[in-house]
Amino acid sequence: MDTAIRLVDLSVNFDERFHLNNINWTIESNQHWVITGTNGAGKSALVAVLAGVGDIENGTVTCLPKNVGLVSFEAQAELIAKELKKDDADIMDVISLGTPVHEMIFENCQDPELAHALVEKFGLTKLLDRAFRKLSTGETRKVMLIRALSSKPDLLILDEPFDGLDADTLAMLQAHLASIIDTTPMILVLNRFDEMPTFITHVAYVDKGELALTVDKKDESAFNELYQLLHLKTTDLQVPEADPANTLPALDPNQPLVRLNQATIKYGDTVIVDKLDWTIERGQHWQLSGPNGSGKTGVLSLITGDHPQCYTNDIFVFGFQRGNGESIWQIKQFIGYVSTALQWEYRVSTSCKNVIISGFYDSIGMYSKSTDNQKKIADQWLALLGMADRADQPFNKLSYGDQRLLLIARAMVKHPPLLILDEPCLGLDDMNRQLVLALIEKICEGKETTVLYVNHHAEDQIKGIENYLGLKKN
Amino acid sequence: MANYFNTLPLREQLAQLAKCRFMDSSEFADGVEALKGKKMVVIGCGAQGLNQGLNLRDSGLDVSYALRPEAIAQKRQSWKNATENGFVVGTYEELIPTADVVLNLTPDKQHTPVVKAVMPLMKEGACLSYSHGFNIVEEGMQIREDLTVIMVAPKCPGSEVRAEYVRGFGVPTLIAVHEDNDPKGEGLALAKAYAVGTGGHKAGVLMSSFIAEVKSDLMGEQTILCGMLQTGSILCFDKMVEEGIDAGYASRLIQYGWETITEALKYGGVTNMLDRLSNPAKIKAFDLSEELKVIMRPLYNKHQDDIISGHFSQTMMEDWANDDKNLLQWRADTAETNFEKTPAGDVEISEQEFFDNGILMVAMVKAGVELAFETMTAAGIIAESAYYESLHETPLIANTIARKKLYEMNATISDTAEYGCYLYNHACVPLLADFMKDIKTDVIGKGLSVEDNGVDNARLIEVNKALRSHPVEAVGAVLRGHMADMKKIV
Repeated sequence: MDTAIRLVDLSVNFDERFHLNNINWTIESNQHWVITGTNGAGKSALVAVLAGVGDIENGTVTCLPKNVGLVSFEAQAELIAKELKKDDADIMDVISLGTPVHEMIFENCQDPELAHALVEKFGLTKLLDRAFRKLSTGETRKVMLIRALSSKPDLLILDEPFDGLDADTLAMLQAHLASIIDTTPMILVLNRFDEMPTFITHVAYVDKGELALTVDKKDESAFNELYQLLHLKTTDLQVPEADPANTLPALDPNQPLVRLNQATIKYGDTVIVDKLDWTIERGQHWQLSGPNGSGKTGVLSLITGDHPQCYTNDIFVFGFQRGNGESIWQIKQFIGYVSTALQWEYRVSTSCKNVIISGFYDSIGMYSKSTDNQKKIADQWLALLGMADRADQPFNKLSYGDQRLLLIARAMVKHPPLLILDEPCLGLDDMNRQLVLALIEKICEGKETTVLYVNHHAEDQIKGIENYLGLKKN
Repeated sequence: MANYFNTLPLREQLAQLAKCRFMDSSEFADGVEALKGKKMVVIGCGAQGLNQGLNLRDSGLDVSYALRPEAIAQKRQSWKNATENGFVVGTYEELIPTADVVLNLTPDKQHTPVVKAVMPLMKEGACLSYSHGFNIVEEGMQIREDLTVIMVAPKCPGSEVRAEYVRGFGVPTLIAVHEDNDPKGEGLALAKAYAVGTGGHKAGVLMSSFIAEVKSDLMGEQTILCGMLQTGSILCFDKMVEEGIDAGYASRLIQYGWETITEALKYGGVTNMLDRLSNPAKIKAFDLSEELKVIMRPLYNKHQDDIISGHFSQTMMEDWANDDKNLLQWRADTAETNFEKTPAGDVEISEQEFFDNGILMVAMVKAGVELAFETMTAAGIIAESAYYESLHETPLIANTIARKKLYEMNATISDTAEYGCYLYNHACVPLLADFMKDIKTDVIGKGLSVEDNGVDNARLIEVNKALRSHPVEAVGAVLRGHMADMKKIV
């Protein structure tokens, strides 16, 4: 018999306070899951659905077990609130002491023997007669855990079960959980990967009310990427500072960063871009979109100086009217640039750290000696990316997604006035897309860089971009 | 026109041949300043012409292209190359009179007519630049006295000149000033600025002379670089097939083997290439190469003598005048060799296996490099030049064979190199006939079949010492050191 719990196209409303959308998830009876995500992403809401909470607006949940053991802050708060209400409902004119702990534990207990053992192990023996509501937060949490564990649940859901437990109790709980894995499927909500018990078989990542990713722990590379993503999403590390030794010539604040006047690109008689006027002011983030062949990359390369026809157009960039004796390196110093094409061209066998440092020189590969400060900044970037342990690994041995992350760091390392992200998620799987977008959002928090973001999907949107230019295919 | 070199007194010939110096990067501190605001007009828009022009323009210089009227009228490829890249294109009459520097980037063969057409149009005191000195040195082209004549020769195909520049680097470049034509003493400044404009200064610049460039370049390309690889390919392939080795395997071993073994040469010279072999194989390769050097030395001497005397260029120019009869015949013959016609088999050959099963190929590269170097230096060419034109460029040519066999090699190199390559090949194949009779699959195709890798200590020490003390290794170590400093992380 199929005992898998299935959530299909599920949308759930939690009192209009929160919504879960488009959840598709199958939990087999021999699986143990960890749910991760940032604060407010919907982790607790997702597991609450399994405990029957929330109004289902769309989709189905099938094979939900009857006896679900749930321990969460929400359930804990609810239980305490209920206890306090008993006090308010003081119709007997006696001072209510509330429900004693032993009653809380043993009233619906399916396995009193286990409950007794756990009371002992959690050190609650002396508290059995005390009122539940008089306990400390940590103690009520222990009571909750004992109730859930001794209820012989068909599914055990523990939302941040390890929070606030001392080391001994934590080890004890972990050991107990490990001893019941054959009989009890478990779902744990954890913020931190390092608390993940070894018996976990699957990891789910929740983002913005959606089940963004599910990963089989056996898939090591996907697992590592998820680890990295969570790191990026939750780290307190900031985007490293620019190198004070690497000062750019000052730009006239009254001039735009870029001004294209009637820009045209054509090959023979084929016109790719036709008389485009476009001005990018400083601090004005832009999204450029359009179908394949609409000339997005062409327009960008007019700005970066990589397109030979930049010399036949009226282009003003970073204080230079193009074609008056400036070199492309004078232009490129103001630009950070990432694209799939750059990744293809970046085939030199150099270390991850050097790839980041090469951003100071706008070069592919390193042809100059780097300074100590540049190395230090590169290390900070690697730490931000969660790749500190890979500083000296060859770039070309990294996964495609990790390469992309490094190239974004390379583009940003000098804090350029203009950052061009040309379809930065192209060719990436879901996980890596999330990673790249997480990094870009982190970067956009900074103020001094103007972002020019190019894509042809509407979905990968970035916070803070308010100007749009759509190109049509000619 | 008389051969320019032959008009010089011996003292001057020797002085010119001995010119070659690796320049310090501090010598390029002025950047492109000497060319700033000057009008540079490129003649020819092929791979070198277009890509050098793109680099120079991206370095902030003013570049346009002068093409023949028929190329413009018929919208030929050269016209398309230039216009699609947004360059100003005009006829010689329109552009040359405005030029401060004229860059002659046409094939050698066209130099005489091109220069004759251009020179009268050039303004007083302008500069004429070459990327190969054949026209000046061998054809004896006389340039107007008021004009400055320089050479800037990137030592890589045009596509690489561009690709390396875009990456933020460059390719090694040779520069020279034709001293008879340096009326204002600005030749060196212009050549240096030009090298900076193409990015060459980042990869290392050699200051040489027109004569040293021509005489060493011709020698290298026709002997070790192209000739030896062509002859070796054909002989090794035929031998392996004759000995019953699968033709597909033999074809792959050779096509990719040159590239693999010369990669070791590039990093650590002949010593490192031989060090990749087991001790018994190394001694075997050493012995074979000694034998080859004895057999081939007269041929290398003849090539060098004919190059120095001008006999080579004279016979080649006669073939040019005869509609390239020899060249075209040889080209057709090469296409018909069994090696060329047998595609590389679908077999995996590991990097080490190319060495282990290609002992004879290693011996041929060693013999060729050392002979070319020894012959050039014996003729008065300085060791630095000889190193670049033999050992340094061998991997570049080997790469072209890996791409598309001998066809690609001969298509990539100049007609001059191709002509010399065939001359060498025609003489060398019969010269090695007896030697090849004794060759078995232990040195080409299968590798040594020894019980163990034991060798006699004294003999191994002797061989290692001989390898390491060859003069090409001494100069190579110094020059590779310079290059490594410049290209720290490749």
